[in-house]
Amino acid sequence: MSSLRPIAAIALLLLPLRARGQSAAEIVARADQIRNPDHAFRFVSTLTEYVSGRPQAQNVLAIVSKKDPGTHQFRNLVRYVEPPRDAGKAVLLDGRSLWFYDPASKSSVRISPQQRLIGQAAIGDVLTVTLSIDYVATLTSTESVQDASRASRSCWHLDLKAANDQSTYARIEYWVEQGTFNPIKAKFYSDSGRLLKILYYRAFENWLGGLRPTEAVILDAVDSSRVTTVKGTDHRPQEVPETWFQREYLPRLQSE
Amino acid sequence: MVPTRIPASLAKRVTAAALALASLRAPAALAQSQPDDELGRIPSESAPASPPPGSAKVHHRAFLESATELELRRSALDVPIAAPLPPALEQRLFLDSRVEWTPLSGFSLTYSGRPELRAADHIPFPTHENIRFDARELFASWRPLEGIFLDAGRINFKSGVGLGFNPTDFFRTRAVVEPLSVDPSALREDRLGTMMVRGQFVWHGGAVTAAYAPKLTSPSRLYQDTTLPSIDPMLDRTNAHNRLLLKSNFELGEDLSPEVLLYDEDGSFRVGANLTRTFGKQLVAYAEWAGGSQSSLTSEALSYGALTGSLPAIAAPASSTTSFQQDLSAGFSYATESRLTFWVEYHLHQAGFSRQDWQSWFAEGAARPALAPLLWYVRGHALEQQVPLSKHNLFLRADWTDAFLFNFELTAFANVDLYDGSTLGQLTASYAVTNLWTIALLGSANFGSRRSEFGSLPSASSVLLTIRRYF
Repeated sequence: MSSLRPIAAIALLLLPLRARGQSAAEIVARADQIRNPDHAFRFVSTLTEYVSGRPQAQNVLAIVSKKDPGTHQFRNLVRYVEPPRDAGKAVLLDGRSLWFYDPASKSSVRISPQQRLIGQAAIGDVLTVTLSIDYVATLTSTESVQDASRASRSCWHLDLKAANDQSTYARIEYWVEQGTFNPIKAKFYSDSGRLLKILYYRAFENWLGGLRPTEAVILDAVDSSRVTTVKGTDHRPQEVPETWFQREYLPRLQSE
Repeated sequence: MVPTRIPASLAKRVTAAALALASLRAPAALAQSQPDDELGRIPSESAPASPPPGSAKVHHRAFLESATELELRRSALDVPIAAPLPPALEQRLFLDSRVEWTPLSGFSLTYSGRPELRAADHIPFPTHENIRFDARELFASWRPLEGIFLDAGRINFKSGVGLGFNPTDFFRTRAVVEPLSVDPSALREDRLGTMMVRGQFVWHGGAVTAAYAPKLTSPSRLYQDTTLPSIDPMLDRTNAHNRLLLKSNFELGEDLSPEVLLYDEDGSFRVGANLTRTFGKQLVAYAEWAGGSQSSLTSEALSYGALTGSLPAIAAPASSTTSFQQDLSAGFSYATESRLTFWVEYHLHQAGFSRQDWQSWFAEGAARPALAPLLWYVRGHALEQQVPLSKHNLFLRADWTDAFLFNFELTAFANVDLYDGSTLGQLTASYAVTNLWTIALLGSANFGSRRSEFGSLPSASSVLLTIRRYF
């Protein structure tokens, strides 16, 4: 019997992990559920560009998001509200297709996820995405990190690799708080391995059935003088007909 | 009791698991701190978010723009051009506005127009020619059921996926009035709509559109810069033919959404198609094609000139042979991580000038100056039709957002005639001073030998300064 004690001890050490049953994929999926509700919704996204600590420009977007029942990835409709020079422009993300519509030229143009449409932020930064669909996660470690307000958080540290060539980033380092599954921080890398951005989630508030982050702070890793905050407000459930996610519908979006 | 030994294989796995567990736990004991400068960059408070846009019944976009252009001309041309030449100095002030009003759910009214004051060295002041008004769009839309739309009025109906040339944009002809720039993107912004009725059925997997534009007036002469109507809907530019367009786009797999078009203009039938696809997260490839029975560019232009009285009747070809002619615009865009986007696009206009056509054009023009107006008319006709003059062209464009400075954008494009290598190039520097004010400086030039497409143009280069205030 005494010979079984080492085995039992090791088994007991291993038991907490097994009992939690949290795989990397499950952690990312739970964090996705924290970031966004399951049902269709609309919100206003305010992007503020800071240069050397001073706000320089602000873009306001009205965004409608709805999950594709087949792929479980969000489809997004974006309408530019401010500044006036961009008002009326629209973007559609439906599966792999990204379309940009400009009412001035009446043109719908196919764009890539990399294209910069709103200052520092690539269009993939502002859309509602399900990371567990677009990335394959592995659990690297558990560690303590400071959140945006410098509070220490005990987190899972995950490494996310792009699952397809449409993912905005080749690789993401992702910190998710243990227990709450709140997303805390992320680092985004290019195909060449260069660190592009560091993102902090903050301002957790109750909206649409959960305590969710309402703001993301994006630090440019290439130009240290530049910071973008992405603030989500006015979250509301929204019935979204399937016809809205068609590029021919983009010119009609303004009147909805 | 005999001790039970752990099987060696199990022991190895358990040992490895214990070691892994130990390594996982150890870092948790350490408080990992980020570099202070990283957290120090985070704004302590967010800038106040704008109030939600709400369900406004009126959406509008308006700006007041001042545009000052200076043009440098070539001193001598191998094929002389008849007066009036474009102005050497021009000042324009216009109010560009677009309004969409939704008084009832499912019903909207749209207006887009541009009243303008202009002064130029070749236009007397003050006269009615100093005042212009382009009524681009005025139409009503009704959505009787989800996904079904009916539109009626003057509609700027654009099709196509190309950037520099759109073979399937069948309502483009003669619709561009007096553009500020030859940048194809800018050409689309001040374009007259066509009086039409349009029905559209949209579903998630695609859309079908049918549009009918009736003939409301007869074809008219090509306008000169000095003969533009002051306040006139210019229906002769947009509704001089009976036109019918049917088009449909549909999903073909996850990443393909082709579009096919059928177009008829007074019994002349054309078909078209376009396709786009992304490759990775940086590259978008596209192709746009149209084909139909038509005559050469020269024959078409001379026939039109004779019909409208711009040219003597004798100028019309004795017989106009038609054949199946194709147009193609194919290329790709590539977006880099550093806010640069490039486009490379090939244009085919099969009815356009061949190398021999160009040689004949220059030879005839130099040998018989009396033919010069007729020769230049052919080129003007191509410009009004929004088609390339040569059969083969290359279009290149680059756009750099936040170049050197925040809110500073650099855009450059080049249109290259692949027969002679001559090039129309343009560089634009635009700066958003504030959310409401934008200033831009644009320089363009025509490069090439005297007997080349762009080298033979009277304009050598031009500079344009615009100051725009949004409301």
